[in-house]
Formats: sequence, C-alpha cells, structure tokens
Amino acid sequence: MKAKTTKSSDGDPVSISKWIHKFRQSKDDHTWWTTFGLILCLTMATRLYRLDSPDHVAWDETHFGKMASWYINRTFFFDVHPPTGKMLIAAFGYLTGYDGKFEFEKPGQKFDETHYLGMRFGCTMMGAALVPMAFITVWELTHALPAATFAAAAILFDNGMVTLNQYILLDPILMFFIMGAAMGQSKFYNQRHNPFTVSWWSWMAFTGAMLAGAISVKFVGLFVVVLVGLYTIKDIWDILGDLSYPISYTVKHFLARALCLILLPTVLYMFAYYVHFTVLSKSGPGDGHFGSAFQSQLEGNSLHNASMPREICYGAGVTLKNHRTAGAYLHSHPHLYPPEAGPVQQQVTTYSHKDYNNIWLVKRYDVDMPSEEEEAQPDFKPECVKSGDLIRLEHEATSRNLHSHRHPAPVTKRHFQVSGYGENGTGDSNDVWRIELVDGKEGDQINVVTDRFRLIHYMVGCALFSHNKQLPKWGYEQQEVTCNPNTRAEFALWNFEENYYDKLPNVSFAIYQPSFLEKFFEAHMVQFQGNAGLKPKEGEVTSRPWQWPIDYQGQWFSIGDPDKREPGPHKDHEIRIYMMGNPVIWWGNLGFIALYAVIYVWNFVSSARGVRESAQERVRKANLTYACNWLMLAWALHYFPFYGMGRILYYHHYFPAQLFISMMSGVLVNYMLESLPRAVPSFRVDQTWTAFAVVYLSILTYSFYLFAPLTYGMSGPEKKEPGHRYDHLLWMDSWEF
Amino acid sequence: MGTEAELRQRKGARGGQKTQDAVTGKVVQGDELVTSGLNTLKSLHQSLASQGSTGDQQRPAPTPRGRRLDVVAVLLLLAGLGTRLYQIDQPRGIVFDELHYGKYVALYMKQMFFFDSQPPLGKQLLAIPAYLAGFDGNFTFDRIGTPYPDTVPIELLRTAPAVAGALLLPVTYWLLLELGVSRGAATLAGVLILLENSLLTQSRFMFLEPFLMLFAALGVLCLARFRRCGERPFSASWLGWLVAGFAFLGAAVSVRYAGFLSLVLGWGLVAHDFWTLVPRPDVSGGQLAAQLVTRSALAVAVPAAVYLGSFYCHLAVLQRAGGGYDRVMSSAFQASLEDGLATLIKNQPVAVGHGSQVTLRHAVGRPCWLHSHGKPYPDEFDIERNSSRQQQVSCYSGKDANNWWIVKDPAKSHTRLVPPFRPFRDGDVVQLVHGITGNHLITSDGYRPPMSESADYEEVSCYTGTNTSIPKQDLWKVMIVNKKDTDGAWHAITSEVRFINQGNLNMALKFSGRRLPEWGNGQQEVVGDALADQEHTVWNVEEHRYLTMESNSDDERQLEVVSSDLIPMTEMQLSFWRKFAELQLKMLFNSQETVHGHTYATDPLEWLSLRRGVAYWISPDSNAQVHLVGNAAVWAASSAALLVYSALATLYLLRRKRACFDIPDAEWSKMCTVCRTVLGGFACHYLPYFVIDHTFFLHHYLPAYVFAVMLAACTVDHLNFVASHLGWRPLRLLLALAVLLWVAACGYTFVVFSSVSYGTTPLTPQQIKDMTWRDSWDFIVHKQ
Repeated sequence: MKAKTTKSSDGDPVSISKWIHKFRQSKDDHTWWTTFGLILCLTMATRLYRLDSPDHVAWDETHFGKMASWYINRTFFFDVHPPTGKMLIAAFGYLTGYDGKFEFEKPGQKFDETHYLGMRFGCTMMGAALVPMAFITVWELTHALPAATFAAAAILFDNGMVTLNQYILLDPILMFFIMGAAMGQSKFYNQRHNPFTVSWWSWMAFTGAMLAGAISVKFVGLFVVVLVGLYTIKDIWDILGDLSYPISYTVKHFLARALCLILLPTVLYMFAYYVHFTVLSKSGPGDGHFGSAFQSQLEGNSLHNASMPREICYGAGVTLKNHRTAGAYLHSHPHLYPPEAGPVQQQVTTYSHKDYNNIWLVKRYDVDMPSEEEEAQPDFKPECVKSGDLIRLEHEATSRNLHSHRHPAPVTKRHFQVSGYGENGTGDSNDVWRIELVDGKEGDQINVVTDRFRLIHYMVGCALFSHNKQLPKWGYEQQEVTCNPNTRAEFALWNFEENYYDKLPNVSFAIYQPSFLEKFFEAHMVQFQGNAGLKPKEGEVTSRPWQWPIDYQGQWFSIGDPDKREPGPHKDHEIRIYMMGNPVIWWGNLGFIALYAVIYVWNFVSSARGVRESAQERVRKANLTYACNWLMLAWALHYFPFYGMGRILYYHHYFPAQLFISMMSGVLVNYMLESLPRAVPSFRVDQTWTAFAVVYLSILTYSFYLFAPLTYGMSGPEKKEPGHRYDHLLWMDSWEF
Repeated sequence: MGTEAELRQRKGARGGQKTQDAVTGKVVQGDELVTSGLNTLKSLHQSLASQGSTGDQQRPAPTPRGRRLDVVAVLLLLAGLGTRLYQIDQPRGIVFDELHYGKYVALYMKQMFFFDSQPPLGKQLLAIPAYLAGFDGNFTFDRIGTPYPDTVPIELLRTAPAVAGALLLPVTYWLLLELGVSRGAATLAGVLILLENSLLTQSRFMFLEPFLMLFAALGVLCLARFRRCGERPFSASWLGWLVAGFAFLGAAVSVRYAGFLSLVLGWGLVAHDFWTLVPRPDVSGGQLAAQLVTRSALAVAVPAAVYLGSFYCHLAVLQRAGGGYDRVMSSAFQASLEDGLATLIKNQPVAVGHGSQVTLRHAVGRPCWLHSHGKPYPDEFDIERNSSRQQQVSCYSGKDANNWWIVKDPAKSHTRLVPPFRPFRDGDVVQLVHGITGNHLITSDGYRPPMSESADYEEVSCYTGTNTSIPKQDLWKVMIVNKKDTDGAWHAITSEVRFINQGNLNMALKFSGRRLPEWGNGQQEVVGDALADQEHTVWNVEEHRYLTMESNSDDERQLEVVSSDLIPMTEMQLSFWRKFAELQLKMLFNSQETVHGHTYATDPLEWLSLRRGVAYWISPDSNAQVHLVGNAAVWAASSAALLVYSALATLYLLRRKRACFDIPDAEWSKMCTVCRTVLGGFACHYLPYFVIDHTFFLHHYLPAYVFAVMLAACTVDHLNFVASHLGWRPLRLLLALAVLLWVAACGYTFVVFSSVSYGTTPLTPQQIKDMTWRDSWDFIVHKQ
C-alpha cells in the first residue's frame, strides 16, 4: 500500500499500475480491447514486414504455386494432399490477378513480373490470424487476460512461425483451420450452460466447419478432429451423468453434435472435392494416376468422348491397363530378353504411353479366331469373354502370344518371366491364361473399363503382375511385367481400356462416367497410395520427430540462387532464409511441459489425498487443469503420431503441435505469476508481478529480434566461412545458417 | 499344505533368503508324473492357492480353493504336453522360420558371432537343449523343406517350445482364477487354448512365440498375484511376486521386442494398483513414497537386469567370428572376436601417419570400403548431367586390392614413410592416394554425382590428370568424431573419421546409399555432401600398414609393405558395455529390408477374421503339409467375445452413470479387473501393430490372441452370472448347453485341422478343398 501512495504523487505510474491491475483482473472490456488491438498491430507488423522478399520461388512454393497455376488453368493434376488448401491459394492468386502462367519450376526462380504477392499475402493473412485466435482461445479457456497475452506473445514472437506463414504454403492454411477448430471448441464449451441457443449452435457449427477445413487441407488435420471428438465424448459423458435430465436430453445433445461435428464437416469435405473435380476439367499431368473411367471425363484425354464396344469378345483388339496408381499398359515389342534375363524370348513390359504395341488380340485357348468369312455370315454372333474362361492374348504387331513359364523374371527373381512366344499366333500350352473377374462370379460377362480382373497362368498358377520396377537399358527402362506366384498380390489386377471390334455396336464412353462418390473414393485410394509411397531412401537425411521439440535443425527456405552460387564473397542482395523456431520459446516450452507435469501430479495427488484448501484455490487449480490438459492433449495428438509414420517427415510438421504448447506456456506462466502471493510478502506482490511479466515479455521480444535475420533474410558469407555475421547465434552445432 | 507354504514364505522372509525361493518354493509334492518344471509351477500354484485361502479381507478374494484344483491344472498340462509333443520329430525337415532359428542355434553351438535384430533369450532357450543333446552345429539350414539328417537331434531342439506351449495352458487357467473368474470358465479357457490349432502349430517347431506367450502370461499372473498381497506391502511374498512378475516380463522382452508390449501392460497394471492406494487415508505419505520408489525401481531394474543378462550370455558365448555374420558390426567389434578380422589385423600398427596404407570402411550401416578402379566415369550420367570423366570412386562391399589407399602429407612429394614418424591428428589436412592407380581422391567441382539428385551433392573421383589444375581439391581435412578417446590422434580401427574437402565447398565424403548402374558394377555411390554432420559421412581405417620405400611403378607401390613394429597393436579388448551398446544400437537402427507383398503376409485387421494363414512346410512327395491356421470355432468366439464383452462393459458403464446399478458391485469390480488385465492385455498386444510399418504374419497376432481366448472364457463366465442373476433356470441350462455344443464344435474343428497342424497326414486334393473353409485360405496342393 505504501508503494502505491508514493507513486500516486507522480501521476503517470499510477495509471500504469492501475492499468496493470485491471489487466490482471481481466474484468474490463476496455483493457481487453486495448490488449487485443496491440497484439493485432504487432502481428501485422511482424507478418507483413518484407513479405515480398525473396522475390524468387522459396522452398515448397515450387509445388503449391504450381498447383495453384493448374487450378487457374483448370488442368487435372494429382497431389497427396486434399484440395482445399491449394484451391484457396489458387483463389488468392486468381483474385489478385495471377494468370497461372508462371512455371514455379524450382526454388530460386525469379518471379520478375508475376503477380505472386497476392498468394503470399493470402497465406500470410491466414497465418497471421493464428495470433489473435490463440489469444481468444486462451481467453476462453482461462478468462485471464495475462494468460491470453503470454500465449499470443509466444506465437507472435516465434521466428519459425513467422517464416512458415510468409510463403505460398499449405501450412498457414492448415494451422488456421486447426486453430479455428480449437477456438470454436473453447467458445462452444463456454456456451455449455445455455444449450440450444443461437450462439451455442453457431459456435458448434463453426467448429465443425473449421474441422472440415483442417482435414481437407492436409490429412494431419485428422488429429484436431480426434481432439474435438475426444472432448465431445467427455462432454456427452458429463451430460449423461446429470441425473436431473432425462436420457432423451442426452440423446438430443448427441444428435446435435452428430449434425454439426460429423455431418456438417463431412458434407463440407466432400464439397471441397466436388469443387476440385469441377474446376479441374481438362486433361493434365495427373491423368495417369487415375483409372480409365475417370480419365474419360477429362477434356483432352484420348478417352474423352471416345466410343467402343462394351463387351470384350473373342477377336477383339484390346489394351490392358494395370489397375493401380499410375498403372501402365501391357506392352510388347520385337526385342528379345537378353540371355542374363532368362530364356531369350520377346520382351513383355508395361508402358505408360499410348502406342500401337499396346494392342492385344483376345483369342479362345483352343480354337483360332473366327475367320473373316465366318464373321461375314449374317447369323454370326460374336462370342464374348466370361469370367473363368481360358484365353490367349496375341500381340497384334508381332503375332506372339502372352506366355509365361517357370523361369525367374528379369528383375524380381521370385516371380516368373513373362514373354511373347510362338509364331503367327501359334504357341504352346504355356500361353493359356484364365481370366478371373474381381467382385464377380464365374460366367459373368467382362466389360471394358469398369471390370477389374486377374489373369491366372493356367499351367503355373501365377498371376500376371506389374509394378514400378524398371527394366535396365535393354528393356528401354519400361516397367517389368512378371507372373507373381502370389495371385492375391495388390498389383495383379487389370482392366481393359480400349476395345476394337467392329462386329459389336459402339457405346459412348459417357456411360462409364463415374459418379461423384466413385471419383471421391478413387481419389482417396490414390492419395493414400501416394502418401505411403513417400518413403525415405537409404542414406537420405530425414528429419526425425525427436529433433523437433529441441529445435535441433531448421529448414532452408531460400539459399539465394543455387545456380549462381559462387565461391568468394557473397553479394549482399542474395538473401537467405532459414526457418527455425525461436529457440528461447521452444526450449522454454519444453521446460513448461515438465513443469506442468510436476504441478499436475502434485495437484492430483494432493486432491486425491484430500488435502484441505480454500474453495478459491480449488477453482484456480481446476481451471489450470482444464486449460492445460486440453492444450497438452492437443499437443500430444499433433506430435506423437509422427513417431509411427513411415513416410518422409519434415521439421515443419511440428508447428501445429508447437501452437498448442505455446498456448499452454501462456496459461502456465500466468498461473505461476498468480501463485506469487504465496511466495512474496503481500505488499511486494504487485511490483514482483509486473517485474516478472515485463521480463518475460522482454525476453520473448528480444530473442525474436535476435533471430529476426533468419526470418527476414540473412546475407554475407555462409556458416564457417570467414566473416560470417551470425556466429553469435549459432548456439547449436546442428544449426546450418 | 496351504499353511505350510505360508509358513515357509514367512520364514524365508525372516531369514533374509532370496524371495525367489519363497515364490517358486520347495513345496515339491510326491508327484513324479512330469518334469521338474511342472513341479515348480505346481508349487507356485499351491502357494497361490494357499494365499487365496488366508488372503486379505479388503479386496474381493476369490472363493477358497483346495488341492483338487490342481487336478484341472495337471490334466491341462498333460493334455498340452501330449498334443504338443506327439510326433515332435515330424515332419523331419526345416519348417518355416526354423531356417533362421536353427541357424542361430547352430552358431551358438559353434560359438560364432551372428547379428540378429531381435534379442537373444529365445534363441538361447532353443540352444540349451541342443547343447545338452550334444548337437555340434554342423548342419546348414539352407532352405525350408531340407530334411534333417540323424545328426540333428530335432526332437530335442523342438522340445523347449513345445513344453512352453504346454505350460501356457495351466498358466492361463491360473491367471483367470486369479482374476476372480469361476473355475469352470478358467478351465474353459485352458481347453480352448488346448484346442487352438494355431497355438499347437506354433508350439511344435523351433519358434520363439511360445516363450513369448508363456513369459507374458506368467508375468501377468505374478503381478495379479502381487496385487492380492497389497495389504502386506514389503512382505516377502509382495516383493517376490513383484520381482517375479517383472522378471518374466523382462524375459518376454528378451525373447522378442514384441514382449515390450507385455511389459507395458505390466507397468500399467502396477501403476493402476498404486493409484488405488493414493486416496486411502490409512496409507501414510511416507508409505506411498516408499511404495512408489520400490515399485518403479523394480519395474525398471528387474526387466533391465534380465535383458542385460541375456546379452551378457550372448556376448560371452559368441566369441568367434566366421561365416561373415559379423560384417554389420564395426571394425573394433569385429576385431574383438577371435578369428575373422582379428587375425587379419593382428600386429598392425595403430597410429596413422604419412605413408600409411589403409582401407577405409564406411562405419555406420551397410559395410563397404572406399574403392576406386582404373575406369573413368561415363561421359554423361543422364541427358542433363555430364560427368567429370575422371576415375570412378565407389564404396565396394567386398574385400579387394583396389580398396587400399595411401594417406599422404601434402607437404611431402613422396609416399614413403621416413623417420621421424609423425602421426596425423584431428584437424590435419591429408591427401588420399589410391594404392593401385596412384591417383588422388578429389571432389569434382561443379559436377553432380551419378545417382543422387540433391543439389548439395558433388561427384567424387580420382584425379587422372587429364583436366585443368585442381587447387586444394585433393586436400581433405581429417575430423575425428571420437577424438577424446585417443587424445586427438588418428588410430586405425577405433577412430571414426570424417574427411572434409578443402576445395571450395567443404564437401564431406559420404556414402549415399544408392547403387551405381552397370558401368559401376553395381557398387555403392560415394558423393561429396555439404552437410558434414550425419552418420553416413563417417569412415574408419580398418586394415593398416606402413609403406616405407619409395615406389614409382604401380606394382611396387602396392606391394612394398612391411608390417612394422613401430607401434604394435595390442589385442582389441572391448568391455561388455561397449559391445552391448554397439550391438543394441545396430539392432534398433538396422532397418531390415522387408519383403513387401509376401504371399502370406497379412495386416492386423485381417487377423480378427482369420482371413489368411501361413504355409509353413509341404512334403515334397505328398500333400502332407504344415499350415498355420486357427481353429475357426475358437477364433470366431474370441473375436465375438471382444465385441460382446466390451459392449456389455460399456453398457453397464453408461447405465451406472445414470445411477442404474444392474449388477452387484462384486461382479462389476470383477469385470473391471478383467477389462484391465485381459481386454487391456489384448489391446496392448494388438493395437500397436496398426502404427508399425512392417510386413506381418498371422503368428504376430498370437500373443494378443491368447488374451482374446481368455476373454471368451470371461464372457461365458459373465453370461452365466447374468443368467443366474436373472434367476430363470432354463436360461442357465440353455447357456450351458450352448457352451457345450460350442466346445464340441471346437473339438471337431481341432480334429479336422490337426492334419495341417501336425503335417503327418498325406492329404488328397479333395480333402484340402474340403478344408478350405474360407476362399482366402491358401493351402498348397501339388499339381498332378
């Protein structure tokens, strides 16, 4: 009290200490808005500063910029991620006058006249929204203004976060939706005492919409769905335990949540795909990843508006497509296998381009094809291929039969070699294959495009198979075709794509058009296969999850122009960007995790042991536990699953988890500061509180300033070269800037 | 009898004897029916039963059990031994993974070091009977189906897993009794496991799963028993059961890493038990702390001790090198084994200096040696990338004269060793001269490497003098990773070295992991990488000799070698810890190449529905075969029980939340125990497989499946309770009838499929077709 009175004579410090008091009390709207406004200004300033530099393609902009161009040009492409994020980037570009003509060929390519800033600005704005949203989320969780401020500051002053948000990437968009879902969830939770009101419904719907956004940008958005799901279960569980309501009340709550948190996101998610398929209507680089029926819908594809007979009949010329991602056509050519690749017979491969050598004639296993005279008879009725039939396939250009035998295949030695054999269509019993329809029974008609089948070698019992393994030079690096003894192998499925037979009426390909749902599911199959295929190779350096929280190593965003990288003094305008989290914040967060674990166990044990404490203290602890548990769970859900992933991992995968742990640090710092009255004499509490808060915020700000060159551009010599300007920042040997 | 055991235990505790004695006990009965292992278990069970009768009042103690219970256990054990040991030597050929385990057993017999990515205890358990039977290890386990000659005592080799598989029956029975399940249901569990064809098949051959399942079940049994000693903490039995439980779980981990899942289950159970103590007012804070410390210390130390012990035996027994099985290990490790590399590098000098002739081994991961040969790189690697057309440099996985390099001081113009000898140290700059061609190792500035596409990489070659000048590009700075061990000196074998090029870009010499195409004879690519700090840039000197004479011609240079005695090399002695640490790291990070798309590979979701078995063996001349496939009746019931039991538990839980208490508290608490232990055990052993990216087979499911079978019995137990609780007598009868019918069905299925479990009956194609109950089961049929 004494201190206050002395200060009141000065005038100014009183208003500051009053303001701080109000800030701590968090009761005053005016203070709230002042703080919020201040944070908003700082956010915009840090995020928009030097947005236009570097003026060349940085890091993964090469992918996402390219995809935005494809959207604008409406050409079909394939990517392992769902479409929303890329469509938003394309929309930013489209609205700001980007014409889709820039190649985004490789990092370092100069933008020159391209309107690239609009796309960067859009992404940056979504990334910038993280800070105010974190502020609101923590406010909703704690109703403590200092906690919200500390939380927002930990995100605001994280250099890595600024870097990641400044470029044309999916991450700012993904994090926006994740944070949005978290914010919606916390808002919604605070509406629990007035259920079924408008704001209750709208915050729930908002959360659902954000969930849809998160999962339709990248599949890691699934983690936030799990987070919201777990809390919804807990919520319902609490409602169920309220015996003052009938059970139907719980059911009502459950249905409301099913509507807003399951149905609504699903519809929005599918809508994103609907837009995706509608926009991308022209043939493009992604065609080959999809099946024949799918391709027939793409303008410019050779199957577009094509027409051919529907049934496969004996005597028809067909092409066979391996039914898998980027499956190619069964192919042969008049070249022989070299002696080291088994018996010297004609090569059979798969080939991704359309070619006359992909055409095969379908013959019965025992009799030759109907002669032209027979076919000319008026009562001639073509006999069609049925599931279970024994057939031979004759290569039209060379008149050799598709053949296999018990000799190892050229590359995959466990499998058997497949070759072209015989003269003018006459071979031996090893040319006989049984055709087996998948999802059909014996005797079913086999249709072009839509039906998938296996070809089982009659004598050996193996299945015709193809995969991505390339043949050496002698096979023109086409893909290997083998006969796989495992007839259930994944890539042993084929479908007929083209079908030429003039005795049958042609049908337009339009009838094979897959419905939206079929396309939707096919796209997912292809995406999952693509994701599973992203495996690191031996000797390749990959980022491991344990490295992330300790800020072990960053990621180069821009290294100047690699082609012009010359020895000797670097030119100052060649700036380099290195994305790395602010180590002060990151290492601090690790400390906060440990601290919270201790506090949590301590509080839990003391409450289980029935230690007496004031009601106020109990509420304070309950609030801490609620907020921190939620944030810790969110962090864990966004971090630990990466340990189980076999695909290539990158440092930036950790940033969504980092958001949550930074928010938790804010809550915890506030809790510690509010615990001061226990440790400090009561008349010193205010000053100590202020001192600690100011020091904490200053440390964050100063460390951001210290590492700012990483974010906004470094110049001069590189690491370990003489004259390196950032030696004082190299706190860890593993940092590369 | 019971009180006697009790007395003995107390006496043991007072007398300060090892608690293990009290646990396994000396309460041997006059029962000479079976082996001593049986006796141990029986006495274990008796102390168990006796504890039950004198047990605490606080916890729901199961009904007191007398001696007659043993009859069930003994019968189960006998039936288990009978089925498992019947015609154990048939088929007399290598069955499936016996290929690997048999080979390891043979290597144990010969004391030859081998590397396997799984821990050694299981293989040791297989090797002990082999040793006792006098197996000399002289048989090449070359491929599945090779018949065993008479010199291989196959019936004894297969005995250990068979006994373990038989012991699993009474242990499951006891475990369920311990959880408070009725005796009938516990017996049912034993019978179901007896009739399960997959468990029978897996126990009859040299496989590790029987040990794994037995140790896991024993560990959980001991911990459940420990839980019932909770009222007398720190008593001998309390400590004994805790130690025994974790010892068994540690043994499970030491058999296969999958056993870690069992250990996690054990930790969970003990932690939960501790948690129930926390709110109790009669337990003081000090007691809690003491309990916490004791439990966590034992939970970590005991399994660790067992695990380390198995490795200690492993390394103590396997002292010799041979057959190239030690190639994955570092040079230092190899040198510590007898024969092999040790003889090669015997008496070789330690300190590397100017004039040293060395071979440089890629230290981490795939073993290969820095190599060059007289061929230049092809003119272009692909359309976009030209090569430097200098001499090829690669990493070669075989020993070859072309692996020799001479380390040269750049200041000297010759490669001779002249006194005074000055060894190189960390930070020194050297040149590396290829021994046979005499060309210097360089990075070809501005040229990308042949295979790797990263922009940070550069081609590495030997300079043939056909290009312009190469200032500094043949200078390499020696960076010793473990320089502290040698005080900064560069030693052969032990020093791990990076070579940093002193040209423009400070490239580090790196093994890239890619294979060169035909022009490079399929050898491994070596590149320069700007990023030095990674494991594939580390090399070590393996073979080492000094070059003393000036040699001008190529022939002289490569041959003028003396094994100098300047600094004689002491015999390599590595401590157990160092060997263990290296082996452990290699085991964890040695990613084995998994065969994708194996014919019989299955994924975890397919296990529940028994979509596919595994073909283990087929007779060369008839259709007699061993095929791992489950008993469809047991399987269906177990999978259904997972659903039924968890659905019931969820239902009760929801109802209780609404304050509707449908079943009495005693039954509810029993359900909770079963859920924690059995359902939890299933989850622990099953769910992790979804996140592990690997090729799996049906037998990976078996440890989880044992818990599923137990749950089936628990479900019957609970349904029986519900039926009697409802009080309508016909319902109970109906249930009993249904269970009987179902057991009969299980028995019938067992008999039908026993022909593929034993593999002794020649089958006709028609019989096989009749057995293919599911379209996806692929039994093998020989073509006529």
